[in-house]
Amino acid sequence: MSSVVPSYEGRDPGLQPERTALSWSRTALAIAVNALLVLRSGFVSDQPLLAALGVALFAAAAAAAAYGVVRARELGHEGGVVMPSAWPLLAVAAVVLLAAVGGVASIVVEAGR
Amino acid sequence: MAQPRWRSEGEDPDYRFTLANERTFLAWIRTALALLAGGVLLFEFASTIGPRVLVVVLAVGLAVVAAALGGLSYVRWRANEIAMRHGRALPYSIAVPVLAAVALLGAATIAVMILLG
Repeated sequence: MSSVVPSYEGRDPGLQPERTALSWSRTALAIAVNALLVLRSGFVSDQPLLAALGVALFAAAAAAAAYGVVRARELGHEGGVVMPSAWPLLAVAAVVLLAAVGGVASIVVEAGR
Repeated sequence: MAQPRWRSEGEDPDYRFTLANERTFLAWIRTALALLAGGVLLFEFASTIGPRVLVVVLAVGLAVVAAALGGLSYVRWRANEIAMRHGRALPYSIAVPVLAAVALLGAATIAVMILLG
């Protein structure tokens, strides 16, 4: 745990950074829900690849939650980084594509039975 | 890691706008994930309504729209950020009306299937 006390002097006291960090947490939860669905499909239809994709999506959810914490830290310091790095955002968009592929795969696999 | 070149163009916008843009991006991502979960759940649990083919088409369609929204959300975040850095108006996007149309059509189709089923 960090003992650094965030300083909000000269800034909107905390609410903008807080909403942004919460936004990351909610996104992580939404990824986790989809991970659960893909994982379930993988087990129900006995498809190890689909189950593995579910596990990967869970890891992505954990990463999104962790980045939310990193963002909260960044935004908690005056003069800290404000603009998010472009890569985590690109990664989140890629995760949606991955989840969509998993969703379509789970539908196609089960519909073909 | 190296950042895209457009990030050094123009001037840094007010941090609140940058954060709002980030949250908007995440809101679109969550919308895409919700559509995707809706499609998968529809397929998994709507075994008693409508023709199976229609359910499968709807579910896959929702997943495809989710994938498109996921890609679009990044493109829009980037476009908004660039526009703000140059003090230009935010670019207009047809994503909102298209999403509304998809949601309306999807919900209406499911409602009809439930009523007729």
